[in-house]
Amino acid sequence: MIKINGLQHHFKIGKKGNERHVPVLKGVTLEVGKGEIVAILGKSGSGKSTLLHILAGFMSPEAGSVMVNGQETAVLRESEQASFRLANFGFIFQNFQLMPGLSAFENVELPLKIQGMNEAERKMKVQKLLEKVGLEEVAGHYPNELSGGQQQRVSIARALITDAPIVLADEPTGSLDSETEKEILLLIKSLNKKLGLTFVIITHDEEVAAVADRQYRLHDGELVKGEQRYAV
Amino acid sequence: MQFKDQIDFIRQHMKRNKLRVATTILAATMGCAFLIVLASIGFGLHQTITNDVLDNNLVTEIEVAGKSGEETDLAPSEIPDGEVQKMREMDHVVAVVERTQPDADTQVAIGERSAYSRVVLSSMEEEQKSGFGLSEGKMPAAADEIVIGYHMASQLLTEAEQEKQANGEEVTGFSGSLIGQTIEVQLTPYMNEGDEKTEMSSWEFVVTGIAKEPTKDWMTDTSVYADSSWGTVFNEELGLQPGYENILVYADELQNVGGITNALKEDGYYVYSVTEELGKMNVFFNALKAGLIFVGTIAVLIASIGIFNTMTMAVTERTREIGVMKAIGAQPKLIRKLFLMESAAIGLIGTALAVAISYGISMLSNWLIPIIVMSSLGEEQPENFTLVISTIPWQLVVIASAISIGVAMVSGWRPARKATQIDIIQALRQEM
Ligand SMILES: Nc1ncnc2c1ncn2[C@@H]1O[C@H](COP(=O)(O)OP(=O)(O)OP(=O)(O)O)[C@@H](O)[C@H]1O
Ligand SMILES: [Mg+2]
Repeated sequence: MIKINGLQHHFKIGKKGNERHVPVLKGVTLEVGKGEIVAILGKSGSGKSTLLHILAGFMSPEAGSVMVNGQETAVLRESEQASFRLANFGFIFQNFQLMPGLSAFENVELPLKIQGMNEAERKMKVQKLLEKVGLEEVAGHYPNELSGGQQQRVSIARALITDAPIVLADEPTGSLDSETEKEILLLIKSLNKKLGLTFVIITHDEEVAAVADRQYRLHDGELVKGEQRYAV
Repeated sequence: MQFKDQIDFIRQHMKRNKLRVATTILAATMGCAFLIVLASIGFGLHQTITNDVLDNNLVTEIEVAGKSGEETDLAPSEIPDGEVQKMREMDHVVAVVERTQPDADTQVAIGERSAYSRVVLSSMEEEQKSGFGLSEGKMPAAADEIVIGYHMASQLLTEAEQEKQANGEEVTGFSGSLIGQTIEVQLTPYMNEGDEKTEMSSWEFVVTGIAKEPTKDWMTDTSVYADSSWGTVFNEELGLQPGYENILVYADELQNVGGITNALKEDGYYVYSVTEELGKMNVFFNALKAGLIFVGTIAVLIASIGIFNTMTMAVTERTREIGVMKAIGAQPKLIRKLFLMESAAIGLIGTALAVAISYGISMLSNWLIPIIVMSSLGEEQPENFTLVISTIPWQLVVIASAISIGVAMVSGWRPARKATQIDIIQALRQEM
């Protein structure tokens, strides 16, 4: 499903002529199979988000390749990248990234609108999914009328609505309390089981990583497989 | 994204910033309304003057004032009859009349009454075909029958009445109908140098018809219209030179006047018709309208700065949302289209309001300004003259809309492009 090979990336900081190169990824290789949940752990600043952004096609890597569903993503043009994302990825962000002017229902509907699906079909699909994630009661609420956990459910529903096979999540529970966190993790686990979705979850939290089938640790620009837990 | 959803999308966005969008629309409305109202004055004056020309002329009449010859130009009287006959055979020509006037002092008399007059000799048959209008009676059928001018009766005065009129008193002239009456036409050759006195000759005619009132209300028609065969009789009897002649060609419809005029010009005739006059005016007024539209467009351009600002702010404010849309998989083309549609919508709504308001202003000024002008001059508006200050033909609406909506879209172009270039990662970092 996902094949990352020898991925390298660095950032330039400072003014021109006096720049410093900060290597973030120094050859990351990773394979994720269909229906797997993979967690990527790492300290703050270790480059987890950078890895995810490259995987999603938000930016291009310096070296190495990313294959998703047999497609080399770096060679796609911007517009092709967009279509590719729409078809293959769902996104869950730490701070939900919902549209403030749209209701929960409309937020979930948005990717289908972008796809150009007709209204009747769209409404049915959204309705069903909202029931599945337990949001039918608050479908008409706007994001500022929803709790953090509800907002994250909306964003999960938005990630799933297009039936994309892969869900990329960057700190999906980062803004939630531990109670709500558990709830969301259970939801992810059950969606993975029921729908066979592939999840790549980025987190710095061991407990979140525990839902994963496999865990990796990003350290010093390299990815190490890590079942073992550090002593706290 | 379906078109309906795109419309919904921009409507939602515009609603979220009602005040800002409304003020921008207001500016666009004012700019566009200024353009339309300003240009409508050009259109209005053009219409007023065109109407005036058409009302005061026999519009299907083409006057032939001569022909360019090999060496010298030919006067109408010198144009051979064969060529006049050719004119009659042209397409869309219904009649060609040759009118001559004997070169003599003319008076008409009936009983005690007499009036100054002029004799117009023409083929009555052609006059009838040309649509010679009678207010009463019928066209002459015999050689000694005539038609007289509309004002003849009121100008036929006795000597006592002539004196009264000279003192500024009202006189009524001949009362009753002149039709069927016999009147005397008296011709006296003009005196040349050395002549002691010239002899008057007179002929009697029966009046069969009275011409209709001249179109121009300042004209007084006391002519005698008689058959052209009298020309040689008068000239021989009085020893006159051939008098002034004019040739008038009549077209069947106004729209054919231009074609006939041009055809005659190509044959070397000097011609004059309403289309000639209107043609010159059209050039002038079209230049005026273009100038007014140009000045009005400046107002639209000023309003476009507002649209540019509004859209730039909208893009900045919605950076995060645009980033999310792009992350989810919206095409950059779609993002650009949504923003262009929003600025076009501002232009469109502004234009629609402007058109409505402009029609209002136009009607108001057409009603109010003539009243103000006339009352300040202390005069009543002349009856058959309507002063049109402003007209808004559909062409003006089309031109103004195209300018206004086009300018709105151009000013939305850069903000829209900026929106497509938003970096997803940077946008997602922004706080809500
Ligand atoms: N646009 C950028 N320009 C320069 N440096 C950057 C840029 N983005 C990230 N970095 C640097 O790259 C490194 C990795 O950043 P990244 O956001 O991937 O970390 P992270 O692992 O997601 O951290 P966190 O857990 O805090 O989210 C950091 O040292 C950061 O300073
Ligand atoms: Mg991060």
